[in-house]
Amino acid sequence: MINQKSSEFVSVPQAKTNGWQILRYQFMQIWQVLAALILIYAVFFVLSPAFRNIDTLLSIFSQAAILAILACGTTVVLISGGLDLSVGSIFAVVGVVVGVLIKDYQLAYPVAIIGALVAGTCLGALNGVIQVVTKVPAFIVTLGGLTAYKGLAELLGSGKDLSRFPEGFQMLGSGYFAPICIMFGAALLTGLFLTKTRLGNHAFAIGGNEEVARLSGVKVARSRIYYYMIGGMFAATAAILEVSKLNFAQSSRGVSYELFAIAAVVIGGTSLFGGRGGVGKTIIGMLIMQTIIVGLAYLGVGTSFQRIAIGAIIILAVYWDVWRRQAR
Amino acid sequence: MKHVVAAKKILQARGLSKHYGGVVALDSVDLDLREGEVLAIVGDNGAGKSTLVKALTGAIVKTSGSVLIDGRETRIDNPADAKAAGMETVYQDLALVNEISITKNMFLGREIIKDTLIGRLFGVLDFPKMDAKIRDLFEKLDIRITDIYRDAEAFSGGQRQAVALSKTVMFGKRIAILDEPTAALGVRESKMAMDLVSSLKDHGLSVIMITHNMQHVLNYCDRVVVMRLGKVAAVCDVAEVDGDTLVGLITGAIEKRQGR
Repeated sequence: MINQKSSEFVSVPQAKTNGWQILRYQFMQIWQVLAALILIYAVFFVLSPAFRNIDTLLSIFSQAAILAILACGTTVVLISGGLDLSVGSIFAVVGVVVGVLIKDYQLAYPVAIIGALVAGTCLGALNGVIQVVTKVPAFIVTLGGLTAYKGLAELLGSGKDLSRFPEGFQMLGSGYFAPICIMFGAALLTGLFLTKTRLGNHAFAIGGNEEVARLSGVKVARSRIYYYMIGGMFAATAAILEVSKLNFAQSSRGVSYELFAIAAVVIGGTSLFGGRGGVGKTIIGMLIMQTIIVGLAYLGVGTSFQRIAIGAIIILAVYWDVWRRQAR
Repeated sequence: MKHVVAAKKILQARGLSKHYGGVVALDSVDLDLREGEVLAIVGDNGAGKSTLVKALTGAIVKTSGSVLIDGRETRIDNPADAKAAGMETVYQDLALVNEISITKNMFLGREIIKDTLIGRLFGVLDFPKMDAKIRDLFEKLDIRITDIYRDAEAFSGGQRQAVALSKTVMFGKRIAILDEPTAALGVRESKMAMDLVSSLKDHGLSVIMITHNMQHVLNYCDRVVVMRLGKVAAVCDVAEVDGDTLVGLITGAIEKRQGR
């Protein structure tokens, strides 16, 4: 039996974990990015008078909403140690698909929405299946998807007028309320998935150490396909919302959305190397990015400089991730 | 347990081979594990110890050979097959995922699902039940880790090894296979880990253990298999050998001999 006096096996005694402890633990995970968001907001609040009203705040949220929904899927994929560069193009395909289903096929819009969600999920599944079968790295497979799905979107949408949708469909993405609610709904679902379910927990294990997960009996390949399907499904959700908001669908939409999503995930503090992270961080990361974009615009800074600023922040965020890993 | 009179053979390997291209890593190895014993596997680096363990547990695809459990041939093509056959393996450096909690590590791949409709439908984890099982087990094994919700990387090498070894008691219904359980540990932590290994017997497990430490072989094991160049060089009762003989067998200075 183990020596009673030795200290190595003894750690600080602690009562059973309760809800409050878990809540505090989760807050400890996000307080830094949350503080960064509030600080950045405060800076613009001081600098720009036009920034100081509730409409600005709401427009930041609603502009963040569509990309944040897309980024929910990206969060899951990155936590599992994967990468999906094709979600921007899936976004384009699904936008066209929902337009075609409503306008060309005259389907009732709820049916069209379901069809579009299925299409996005299938394209995500294709990403996963190709990786699992061919063992080609995620970067290459989804880079191929980025171009190929773009082409698919153009084929489906060419020469079609996909605009002026039924009123019920337009309700989804218009105004502030619906997109923001759907964003929080998507985040809540993703959060529950990641923390409460077996498949969600396996994302952390696979992203942390794929070999240990495999040896422990986790079905790594199958799980990976599911994570890419989730990525595709959230890309589809975001695309449907944008089509509804703009009241037209076009195959040219969604360009570099995958990069904005990855940026938000990383700024939020989810590791680019897998194994760590959460969806709450991603939402905050997206809000940070939108606050900076809107704030700089209010200060009269042009879009070119906004892009440079966002690029710098992405590098800083990844640097912070790398630095934290080395510090361990 | 030095009286090994006609003990039941719980696990037998027959003619296990593993070729990597032209390289023969494992050359037609036979191995018997008797019920309730601790069997050491020793050998120099590259002798094929880890390959043998991986071939036994389905972590690699063997080139040829078969595995018998309780005398019946059992197909073991992947880690899941091995687990289903009652084998639980602790791989060197591949025991725990750093990024997830002790609870999640303990039940990784074998989580307990909430027994409700929603729970079964979505695979919702039953953390209270899993936590309770771990606390019971740790108390039984005298492992004093209470903050099991913390990530595995927060714990010392000894604590992590204790967790990994306790997994064999939780799930390894019959056979524990350990790849250098004390490799990364200090002297005191090694002693504790080895005490835990020998207590596995009391929990009804038969143990195969790879080790480089001759003292551990002599103090804690019943029999020892010496491997050299992918083959079994010798099988001895620990009671009949000393450290020098073992080293001689490992290096090839002493020629092959077959014990009981």
